[in-house]
Amino acid sequence: MSEPISISVAGVKKSFRAFQALHGVSAEFEAGRMHGIIGPEGSGKTTLLRIVLGLMRPDEGSISYREGGRDISFADLRPKISYMPQTQSLYPDLSVDEHLEFFRDLYGIAPPDYKRKREELLEVARLAEFVRRPAGQLSGGMYKKLGLICALLRSPRVMILDEPTTGVDPISRRELWTLLYRLLDEHILILATTAYMDEAERCSKVHLFEAGLLLASGEPRTLLQEQKARSFDELFLRRAALGGP
Amino acid sequence: MNDETVVEARDLVVRYGDFTAVDRVTFTVGRGEIFGFLGANGAGKTTTIRVLCGVLPPTEGRVRVAGTGYEDGENAIKAKVGYMSQKFTLYNDLTVKENLDFIASLRKLDAAYYAKRRQEILELISFKKGLGAFVHELSGGTKQQVSLAAALLHDPEVVFLDEPTAGVTPAGRERFWALIRRVAESGKTVFVTTHYMDEAEQCGRIALMREGKLVAMDSPAGLKAAAFPEQVFEFEPIEELSFSRMTAFQNHEAFAFFEPYGHRFHAAAANAEAWRHWRPELEKTFRIRTIAPSLEDVFIRMVEDRP
Amino acid sequence: MNFVWSRAAAMARKEWFHIRRDPFTMSLALVMPLVMVVIYGVAIDFNVKNVKLAVSDSDQTQASRRLIDTFSSSGYFRVRRDFSPGQALDDLVAERARAALIIPPQFEKNLWSGRTAEAQVLLDGADNSTVVPVSQYVNTIQTLASERIAGADMRPPYDLRTRFLFNPELNSRWFIIPGVVVVIMAILSIFLTAMTVAREWENGSMELLLSTPVEPIEIIVGKALPYASLGALAVVFVYIIARAAFGVPFRGHLWVFGLGCLIFLLTYLAQGLFISIASKQQTLAMQLSMLTGMMPSVILSGFVFPIASMPKFFWYFTMLLPARWFMVISRHCFLEGSSFLELAVPFAALSLSCLAMTALAAHKFKRTLE
Repeated sequence: MSEPISISVAGVKKSFRAFQALHGVSAEFEAGRMHGIIGPEGSGKTTLLRIVLGLMRPDEGSISYREGGRDISFADLRPKISYMPQTQSLYPDLSVDEHLEFFRDLYGIAPPDYKRKREELLEVARLAEFVRRPAGQLSGGMYKKLGLICALLRSPRVMILDEPTTGVDPISRRELWTLLYRLLDEHILILATTAYMDEAERCSKVHLFEAGLLLASGEPRTLLQEQKARSFDELFLRRAALGGP
Repeated sequence: MNDETVVEARDLVVRYGDFTAVDRVTFTVGRGEIFGFLGANGAGKTTTIRVLCGVLPPTEGRVRVAGTGYEDGENAIKAKVGYMSQKFTLYNDLTVKENLDFIASLRKLDAAYYAKRRQEILELISFKKGLGAFVHELSGGTKQQVSLAAALLHDPEVVFLDEPTAGVTPAGRERFWALIRRVAESGKTVFVTTHYMDEAEQCGRIALMREGKLVAMDSPAGLKAAAFPEQVFEFEPIEELSFSRMTAFQNHEAFAFFEPYGHRFHAAAANAEAWRHWRPELEKTFRIRTIAPSLEDVFIRMVEDRP
Repeated sequence: MNFVWSRAAAMARKEWFHIRRDPFTMSLALVMPLVMVVIYGVAIDFNVKNVKLAVSDSDQTQASRRLIDTFSSSGYFRVRRDFSPGQALDDLVAERARAALIIPPQFEKNLWSGRTAEAQVLLDGADNSTVVPVSQYVNTIQTLASERIAGADMRPPYDLRTRFLFNPELNSRWFIIPGVVVVIMAILSIFLTAMTVAREWENGSMELLLSTPVEPIEIIVGKALPYASLGALAVVFVYIIARAAFGVPFRGHLWVFGLGCLIFLLTYLAQGLFISIASKQQTLAMQLSMLTGMMPSVILSGFVFPIASMPKFFWYFTMLLPARWFMVISRHCFLEGSSFLELAVPFAALSLSCLAMTALAAHKFKRTLE
């Protein structure tokens, strides 16, 4: 029924006035894996995600989307993508339940499916007792979890997350990752940027960005062995010491 | 470390309507200490800091900061402390000098003192860009360093740093913590909150809050010993684990604790007998080695209220 | 384009939550029409009545009394007797009177002897709002008074009064209230739409919305719907007040008026949308909608200042304003009972600007963040 989706990016360049955010990036996001996009701020991670999501057009280069080996257009893919932006993007005056109902209607989810999904997600995210609280009064961790469960309300084939765990306490961070890990068994393509290097290790493939360039891609363990580093923290610290900012 | 108490909170209570944000919190912090303040989002950390900064009188309890308190007048505490948060720090459209000038005039600093102090502070943070640089031209890490300089301008005895490194790169975070250590060595008390557990490791003492209450307070080593009297192991899966297998291990009877840590897991055995029984079986799936627990493990075990 | 009604409805429902919880929007939608009607209908009276007139009659004859009588019986002046010209002047300076009538001695004598009988009328020139109408009244009264004083057969006073109905502004409310409808709709539609879409951009939720299956047209319809309903409600509200409280006649067809309301509403909703898409910030959207929506609909639509007396450039410029055309439709529907065909020109102009604005907004609204 649902074939795995993969995305590849070829030679993508993007500038904002004088600032070049991406200097010709090519990357493969294979189906059914969790891809971690890591790098310092301003390295072009968010811009890449927005281009993949069709929210921005690249100046040069192309993005291709494939479903079970067939090329598909972005318009075909759009209904299958869920996205969680980095910036706060929920409505502070709407409660948890009102958010869920709003996205239910936007995604056109049938009532029985919705009922099941809602309970399941609220349970995993441990938000069940806060359904009446407005989003503006949720703590940072709860807010991010609400954003994620809104995105997961329908079953996406592709999940794109921009810094889902920034400013979140360790426990909420684990809960967010638990929500994501569940998706992997359903062979969903996940793209996530993160500033936490231990989270990078949890991805099945990492893509290291710096200053608009893709430095390396690969399985975290292999990559660390190649670079002779014990952790990604160490790797980035070493690069910074070599002549970073 | 000096024995002199600089910050003291006794039976501190803060209520907003019928919601108790801070519930009978008591602690003291000494001079030159780096005191880490941890807890889940919404546990009452920021509220406590507001009280200690002199901007929010507590509902109940007593606060003494650098020898003064709310009973000594509205602005008594504010004059003795510096505060910096990740949210509002500096004006982006002003230069570094204009920002510092502005803060100096708010604090009514004497012109000669301000000129001397500014020089000292900029040397302390080893700020190399010119004073005329606009704040929006600075990188996230440098911006935070300048914010800290601004908080230290009036030579406060205590500085409160509320998530100072959120969103800063690993290298930027490391430089910031080197700076924090230097500030503490110069005799200032540093009170810091963070969500990065590797940063918390660098604190002298840590207080852990949950739902407005203080659940633990000790050195990182002391906390680890208290939270994990048993041996902790690192499990490195030989092959990638599926989510359902991982969940199965989390609920496995061999473990009292089994949490993902990067692509590895940190685990503690339920009891010696179960451990002896299961270990050979588990070694087929994982490479196992003994480790010291991380603060993240401590945090999860102490703050999370698993039924 | 595939338009899914339930998604637009979801947008509308969410928007309704925002409106309900935001005291500013709510009060703007409910209280503002009331305040406007009170301000323009009651407080600001464009009729000049009961002007205080200080009178110093040094002649004290039949002729002078008749002159004074003409002023007092006109209904526009309230006479206040003074003993000397100096005192009358003092009254004017101290603002106890807005005009003074000074009748010199020998007034009647001069009149009968065939010389020009002079009486002096002094006006407070600093008070711009009364000078013009009052001097007009004075002129008219002068003619009447000379007839009255000279004429052998005196007409009864009520006859005199009826002749003062030359002034079409006598009941300015009839003229103003149909205009208030225009201004209120302009504010509700352009202002609130501009704010609401800009708010989505400002708080980052637009990025999330654009990544969901929701189509731009559904966002637009969903956002417009609650505000259009508020606008429609406000119109009904003003209509009822106009008819019941101020007795403004409605001589035209309700459907013509309703159609005009609808097209006008759509035009301004589109303009508000265009502003918010272009500005993406609430404060800027607010200023732009004031500048391009509210101000022209108050100042340049003929609401207060007659278009006919505007400088040529502005006279042509008003042609571009939807509010100007809707103003014509509204007033004609209320006061003149014009048919749809008679209003063909304003309707055509209004529809044209509606199409132009909608096209502009739809063109500008893209599914990207750039």
